[in-house]
Amino acid sequence: MSVIFLLLTISTLLASMFLFAFIRAVRSGQYDDDRSPAVRILLDDTVRATPDDAGASSHPSSATEQP
Amino acid sequence: MGGLTSVIRHASIVAALCSVATQELTRTACFHCGDPCADDHRVHDGKDFCCQGCAVVYDLLNEAGLCNYYELERRPGVKQAAPGEEQRAELFALEEVRSTLVEFSEGGITRARFHVPQMHCSSCIWLLENLARIHPAIMRSRVSFADKEVTITFREQDLPLPELVKLLRRIGYGPQVGAGRARQGGTDRMLLIRVGVAGFIFGNTMLFAVPEYLGADGEAGLKTGFQWLTVLFSIPVVFFLSTGFFRSAWAGIRSRTANIDQPIAIGIVALWVRSLHDVISGAGPGYFDSLAGLLFFLLVGRWYQAHTYRALRFDRTLDDFLPLVVLRRTGHTEEPVKVADLVPGDRIVVREQELVPVDAILRSGAGHIDNSFITGEPLAVRKVPGDTIKAGGRQRGAAIELEVLRTFGESRLKQLWAEQETTHHRPAMPRLIDALARRFTIAVLLVATGAALYWWGRDPAQVWPVVTAVLIVACPCALALSMPFAYGHTVRLMGRRGLFLRGTEVVEHLSRIDAVVFDKTGTLTAREAHQVQWHGPPLPMAEQELVLALARNSTHPLSTVLAHELRDLAPPQASHLREHPGHGIAAMAGGRSVRIGSAAFCGTSEKPRHNGEAHVHLSVNGAYRGYFSILKQARPGMVDAVHHLRKGLRTALLTGDAQVDAQLAGAFARGSITTGCSPVDKQRAIQQMQEQGHRVLMVGDGLNDAGALAQADVGITVTETSAALNPASDAIMDATALHRLPGFMAMARRAHRIVIASLALSLCYNLIGVSVAVAGHMTPLFAAILMPVSSVSVVGFVTLGAWWAARRTIR
Repeated sequence: MSVIFLLLTISTLLASMFLFAFIRAVRSGQYDDDRSPAVRILLDDTVRATPDDAGASSHPSSATEQP
Repeated sequence: MGGLTSVIRHASIVAALCSVATQELTRTACFHCGDPCADDHRVHDGKDFCCQGCAVVYDLLNEAGLCNYYELERRPGVKQAAPGEEQRAELFALEEVRSTLVEFSEGGITRARFHVPQMHCSSCIWLLENLARIHPAIMRSRVSFADKEVTITFREQDLPLPELVKLLRRIGYGPQVGAGRARQGGTDRMLLIRVGVAGFIFGNTMLFAVPEYLGADGEAGLKTGFQWLTVLFSIPVVFFLSTGFFRSAWAGIRSRTANIDQPIAIGIVALWVRSLHDVISGAGPGYFDSLAGLLFFLLVGRWYQAHTYRALRFDRTLDDFLPLVVLRRTGHTEEPVKVADLVPGDRIVVREQELVPVDAILRSGAGHIDNSFITGEPLAVRKVPGDTIKAGGRQRGAAIELEVLRTFGESRLKQLWAEQETTHHRPAMPRLIDALARRFTIAVLLVATGAALYWWGRDPAQVWPVVTAVLIVACPCALALSMPFAYGHTVRLMGRRGLFLRGTEVVEHLSRIDAVVFDKTGTLTAREAHQVQWHGPPLPMAEQELVLALARNSTHPLSTVLAHELRDLAPPQASHLREHPGHGIAAMAGGRSVRIGSAAFCGTSEKPRHNGEAHVHLSVNGAYRGYFSILKQARPGMVDAVHHLRKGLRTALLTGDAQVDAQLAGAFARGSITTGCSPVDKQRAIQQMQEQGHRVLMVGDGLNDAGALAQADVGITVTETSAALNPASDAIMDATALHRLPGFMAMARRAHRIVIASLALSLCYNLIGVSVAVAGHMTPLFAAILMPVSSVSVVGFVTLGAWWAARRTIR
């Protein structure tokens, strides 16, 4: 049964590390904005020269909506 | 897609794309901003643009290689604000303003944070984070979408702050300047850290307690070692996590008011002292796991409640609306000067679309003053040199020169505002939970005393454990959680449907409303929706085109309405155009002499007018043809909504206009419409209703409603765009959601009933706990099970209840 006490000690130490990491993350502002990082990761860094190929590639319906 | 609706933070990019795709685009939409284009719109680089402004932005982005902007979301652009709608860029050179924006400035490198309410989609984020490609002096830019803020690092000697602001405006993201808003971030972060720490201690203390509960018989030394470890963990629980509850309870005691934090504070202290006593005396492991759990649940509730619409601004003062800087003319030079520094006799220049900041006399130029900012009425008033112009009017024509009559502080508008702010005493609405908390605290203390007396007679050794057990188990954790979660969910669900509340307490206020007061212009009627009808013999197409040829050359509001109505036609060129102020326009078009304007101007007699409609007459080659009647239309669904509200509530309409059209008048009860109201009249009318015992909801939009919105028990500001200037209020509503108002009110009432039901449920738990405690059967294990079970079940109940209420009341 004393193995439980050993496991408890280890788990507490592990949890303390996670708590420390969490506090650091909150302090550095990681939780301040939960929308833009989610979008930012999807944004390309490459720049397209003209919007023509842009419109054609990602919005196939655009042609029909412009009479 | 209204900018407001996209504030909803959980909307994914996919959802945003879908909603654009399903929009019906019957007309050509602008490639940049998505607004419908007139037939004579600009076609540039193979794309359609609704206006020159949009095409310019496209060019700018194209040159900088930033056309990804158009790829991420369709037609993401923000329409250019009309010149003068924003503060002068010179303002940003002033130290007072600069210091509110600049976070850091050293060695020529400056970092400034701007509030940009226009940002609404992932394209906006992408563009604003790629500003460095537009101007070489910009080094870095970073967006915080939750706050609608962009932080820009730039070299100030190459790009002074006012120039940076101009650049942002050019691409449609002009920053807003206003009273520096206290940043919420710090307290939010602290609360989040507290939740994290509470969760950590809760989890670990529970683990430590498990061997004890299971009856593990490890070495005795280890066991006591773990008990002391839980004591150690409990120190931050009491001295770091609970401070907010202690402070609030103490504040309540000092002001002799009951609040829910008082029984909670009693519970926390009882738990800690009893547990310490148990461990020190070796009586048992104590209730440290229940203590940590209590704080964890309470803090999660606090955190959930604190989450409101950060990006929306509910507190606005007059200074946010008026220009802060104006051009002063001395001789032949013009210099920007702060409005507050103007003295009577100064000559100022107000350009097209700018607000007149102080009471002044028109000295030169043709005044075309639109008082919609003050009264909500968009039809401009003609002013000639020598006339007085009150502060708050917007010049709709070319630049005018004014002589300052009164200083800013003495101007009528400022005084009106100050008067409203000092006389504003909204009756405080007693909160349900506080009334309950008082009785609850008294009941708990009575039960504890009774139990103490009982056990004193039977077994004095039991007094201490029983009394502490009663105080522990009576701690109203579930009670304190039901309201934040029930109202927090309701706030979120309402936000998804277009009503944004400033805080959870507004739900409770809204649920008790029994009178609704509406403003007309801009609230019940859209600013732009008009019903235009032709009276007279049928007008041939060619002559309709003539009307458009004239109307589109004029900035008069009625001309604008006509031009908008006839926008599908292809008009001939107009020549010899002459605008006769206050009468009409005469011009040659298509080889004919055309006049539009007043009855006298077109050579006929005045026609009978119905319900505040305006007439525009037409004559061609001297022959009278007939007239257009222009009537402002109610927003779709509003008449039905008012009818619906009348079933259970008192409704009233307060308007600054002289007349109300039949459609709206029919919706309201006889005698409940008051016309010709000044802002003060509106406020007084609401005060009177409150004195008669009504709880009043005011729905308004303009600055003229600001006093009434503040006076009412709940004030809702209706807005068509998130970037609009809306006065201080309890809630902001997307104009397209206004017809759902009866649904929102029903939802608030249901939420209130759910809270009452959940309070009853949590009182049941308390009753069970207290009876076990009084009987002397309380154990740490029993507390450790009862507390989370009651909290979780109450939270689950209100969550499902709020969701169900939203489904039942609003589709």
